[in-house]
Amino acid sequence: MPSNPSEIQVIWVYLSGSPLLALFLTLAAYHVGVVAYEKSGRNPVVNPVAIAVALVAVAITLIDMPYAKYFDGAQFVHFLLGTATVSLAVPIYRGLAGLGSRIIPLLVAQLAGGATSIISAVSIAALLGATPEVVGGFYAKSVTAPIGMGIAERLNVSPTLTAVFAVCTGILGAILGRFVLDFVRSKAWWQRGFALGIAAHGIGTSRAFSVNKEAGTYASLGMGLNGVIGAVLIPLAVGYFR
Amino acid sequence: MIGGLVQILFFQGLGELVSKLVVPLIPGPVIGLILLLAFLAIRKSVPQGVDVVATTLVQHLGLLFVPAAVGVVLFWPQLKAQAVPVAAALVVSVILTVAVPALLLRMMAGDEGDAK
Repeated sequence: MPSNPSEIQVIWVYLSGSPLLALFLTLAAYHVGVVAYEKSGRNPVVNPVAIAVALVAVAITLIDMPYAKYFDGAQFVHFLLGTATVSLAVPIYRGLAGLGSRIIPLLVAQLAGGATSIISAVSIAALLGATPEVVGGFYAKSVTAPIGMGIAERLNVSPTLTAVFAVCTGILGAILGRFVLDFVRSKAWWQRGFALGIAAHGIGTSRAFSVNKEAGTYASLGMGLNGVIGAVLIPLAVGYFR
Repeated sequence: MIGGLVQILFFQGLGELVSKLVVPLIPGPVIGLILLLAFLAIRKSVPQGVDVVATTLVQHLGLLFVPAAVGVVLFWPQLKAQAVPVAAALVVSVILTVAVPALLLRMMAGDEGDAK
């Protein structure tokens, strides 16, 4: 510690008590993540959210800040999730306009994909011996995180685990998606994009946009439909089975 | 831009209200999304302010769930102990969830699907 520890301590106590530190950490870590992502040529492995989460987690551990205190300060950012969820209406509206005869196949694909996601993840995790708390985190993992966390709250499962699994799912989908799509010989961009949007929500969508614009538009539509329909059906389905 | 934020917050509030009073099972922001979607469909266009705010927020969606996802520190010991089931569920599920809709769309779309 420098010459005047008490003064520094006073400043430190003040700073770590205000939301400033948590906000700064969150935004700075995310900024580092975005810069790294751009530098890597938008490689899906270099995911800005994963980098930001890792950096913040390490930082608060190092300065001995309890998670609850960090979250208190970062609440301003967290609050905007709800606002961002409402905002998803705009890309969904644009995607729906001019859809024509594709709407029925897309809806069928969405329902099947959503069901596949939840049934496969929950049954595999449960069969291999995951605890009920962890299994609960898989219910809404293919749903875009802001909506998925809302669903998790309604189901009394951990929104945090849901968000973590959602981020992992998004990254995996963005990396593995093209191989899976080639394997099932999916060719049309709108079909490839839509499937990726259902499975890997926002991260898959930004991946789709970086490959092809039509794929990106359909990916955001897939993500949006999966979110809205998931918010209605997942709580009903889970309530029915448990 | 402020006008757009006011409109989006209005729909968010309306969604919370409907969620609390009518359909507690669906999160308020999702109901707000549906109401805003209905408003846009009736209006047949997106107000410029709403467009600016929505595009900005959706572009940086990732930032917004950092605070919640950092909560992984609380679950770290549990996740480490269950690394195998968690990893298997994540990987297999995402492969199936990409494959199933893609296959269905290819079968349902017929010839149209071949146009690249």
